[in-house]
Amino acid sequence: MKIICVVKFVPDVDNFTYDHEKHIIIRENSRMMVNPDDACAIGFALKMKQRSPDTSIEVVTMAPESVLPLVEDILRVGVDTATIISDRLYAGSDTYATSRVLSRYLSGATYDTILTGSHAIDGDTSHVPSQIACLLDLNHMSYISRIDESSFSSSLARFEVESEQAVSSYEIQMPAILGLTRASGYRLPYVRYKNLNMDVSDRVTVIHNDVLCFDESEVGLTGSRTKVVGTHVKTYKNRSHHVVTTDQEGIDTVYRFLKDKQFI
Amino acid sequence: MKRILIYIEQHHEQEGLDLLETARQIYQEEPYETYALVLKSQYDALKGIFDVIVDLSEECLQEYEMRAISEVCYQLHKSYHFDAILFPATSWGRLIAPRVAMMLDTGLVADVTDIAHGEHGLELIRPAYSGRIMASIQITGDGPMMLSVRPGVFSYTQHKKAATQIRIPQDLRYRTGGLKETGRKEKHSEYDIRESDVLISGGGGVERYFHELRPLAELLGGHVSASRAIVDKGVADRNVQVGQSGKTVNPRLYIALGINGALQHIEGLRNVDYIISVNTNKYAPICSLSDIVVEGDAYTFIHRLIDTIHKEKGYEGH
Ligand SMILES: Cc1cc2nc3c(=O)[nH]c(=O)nc-3n(C[C@H](O)[C@H](O)[C@H](O)COP(=O)(O)OP(=O)(O)OC[C@H]3O[C@@H](n4cnc5c(N)ncnc54)[C@H](O)[C@@H]3O)c2cc1C
Repeated sequence: MKIICVVKFVPDVDNFTYDHEKHIIIRENSRMMVNPDDACAIGFALKMKQRSPDTSIEVVTMAPESVLPLVEDILRVGVDTATIISDRLYAGSDTYATSRVLSRYLSGATYDTILTGSHAIDGDTSHVPSQIACLLDLNHMSYISRIDESSFSSSLARFEVESEQAVSSYEIQMPAILGLTRASGYRLPYVRYKNLNMDVSDRVTVIHNDVLCFDESEVGLTGSRTKVVGTHVKTYKNRSHHVVTTDQEGIDTVYRFLKDKQFI
Repeated sequence: MKRILIYIEQHHEQEGLDLLETARQIYQEEPYETYALVLKSQYDALKGIFDVIVDLSEECLQEYEMRAISEVCYQLHKSYHFDAILFPATSWGRLIAPRVAMMLDTGLVADVTDIAHGEHGLELIRPAYSGRIMASIQITGDGPMMLSVRPGVFSYTQHKKAATQIRIPQDLRYRTGGLKETGRKEKHSEYDIRESDVLISGGGGVERYFHELRPLAELLGGHVSASRAIVDKGVADRNVQVGQSGKTVNPRLYIALGINGALQHIEGLRNVDYIISVNTNKYAPICSLSDIVVEGDAYTFIHRLIDTIHKEKGYEGH
C-alpha cells in the first residue's frame, strides 16, 4: 500500500515574524515545525507501516527549501520518501493557488490514499484538503478522531469523526483524502539517537516549477483569489472598572451590581 | 440586483438566518435577493424571510455528501449567477465551501468574523495565526465572492417580510457514493452556552473546584462555561468552551473566574453587556475588559457571594 501524507510546515506559533508591509509570513527565519494535525497523519501512516511492512510512505509538502532539515528528520523516523515542492514563484500563494500546485503534483503520483491534517495552526482555513479532493475528484473527510487500524486497506477505511453534537462512524472507499485531528492521538516519533546523522539525502526530491510548469500568473500572489490587505492585532475596548477584593465590602459591591442589573 | 446564496445546514437554521446580517453588512443599501439552499424540507423558520428557498429535499442528500452538494451548488450558480455564496463556518460548511470555490474558480475567505468597507473596498476580517492577528482579506478575480462565516458572530434581528418562493430544481446532476455513515452516537448536552443569558465561566485558576461554579450559575439563572485550559485537562466538557476554538457567546453577564483572558478566549466574547472577573492577579488581561475586577481567590469569592445572596434573600422573605 502506498500512502501519501500531505503536510504543511508552520511557524511555531509562539515564535514567528510577520511582514506587516507585504502581509506575508517571513518563513525563512522563523522556527518551523510540522503542523500538529499533519504530524498525526504521519504518525498514523508509520503505525500502518509497522503493521504491514510493505506499506510505503511519501511525505509531500509545498514549502521553502529551508524546511529540508525538518523533512530529513521525518525520513529518519521511517518515512520512505519526501517531495518538497518549492519555487520562488509559489511564494504568497493562497489556499486556492496552493491546492492547484499540490494537486498538479499529486495527479501524477501513485497512491492508495492521501492522509493529512484537519486544521493548520497558522492560517487555519482548512481549505486545502477539500480543494485537493475536488481537483483530484476524490472523496474526503476531515476531523477524524479515530481510524480503525485493522480494517485500513487500499480499498477501504473505517473511522470516527467527532463533532459537537455526535460521534459518527463512516466508511470510505479508497482512494480518498483523510484528515486527522490531534484527538486521534497519533504522534510523529522522535528521531532515535543512532539515526540522528543518518544520510537520507537520496530519499528527498525537490521539485521546482520547471516540473509543474505553471504560468507565472497562475501561482503566487498573482494566481491567488484572495489577498491579505491588512493585518492588525485586535484591540478590545477597555472598560473603566472597579477593583475590589473578596472581603465583605467587595462581595457587597458585586451583589449590588447584580441586583441593579436585575440578575438577582 | 445582487443575488446571494446562503447554505442552510440541517439543525443549524439559525446560523443560516444570521448570515442575512452578514449579507446586509456586505451590500448595505444596495438591493439584493436572498436564496436559501436547504437539503431537507424543515424550513418553516426561513419562510417569509428569504426571497427564495431552493428545496433539495427530493434529492435525499445527506449532509456529509460533500462532493454531491458542491456539484449542486455549482449548477445552481450556473443558472442563477450569484454575486455571493455564504456558508456558516460549521464543520460541514467549512468542508463544502472550499470545494464549491474550487469548482467556481473563485476566492473563499474562511471563518469570517467581521465585515469592513475600507479604502480598498470590501474587506473580510478573520483571525489568523492562532488568533494573534486579525487579517483583512479581499477577494480578487471575477467572483462570486465566497465566505464561511463564524457562527454566533452576526445576528439577524430584523424580520423583513418577503413573499418566499419555493423552488425545486430539476435535472440536477451529481455523484454520490464512496462515503457512508455507518453509525452515530449523539452527545447529550443539557444546554447550549450560546443561548445563555448568564455565564459563570471557569479557567485555570479554578481547575480543582470547577464543579463549585454550578450552584452560583443556578442562583443567577445561568450556566457554566470554561476556558480551554481546563477543557484540555478534561475538567470541563468541550462543548462549554468559550473562545476561538470553542464557541462565540453573547450573554448579558459573564463572570470569569480564574481566567487570564488570552486573545483566543476573548475572541469568543462578542456582545457581552457586563463582565466581572475574579482573579488573584488584578493585572490579568481579562481585568481591563471587566466592569468589576475582584482581586482574590475565586473559591472564596464564590462561597461568599452565594452566602450573601442567600442571606439577602432570607431578609426579603421576612
Ligand atoms: C489555536 C489556539 C486556539 C485557542 N482557542 C482557545 C479557546 O477557544 N478558548 C480559550 O479559552 N483558550 C483558547 N486557547 C488557549 C489560550 O491561549 C489560553 O491558553 C487559555 O485561554 C488559558 O486559559 P486560562 O486563562 O483559563 O488559564 P491560565 O492561563 O492558566 O490562567 C489562569 C488564570 O487564573 C488566575 N488564578 C490562578 N489561581 C487563581 C485563584 N485561586 N483564584 C482566582 N484566579 C486565579 C491566574 O492569575 C490566571 O489569570 C487557544 C490557543 C491556541 C493556540
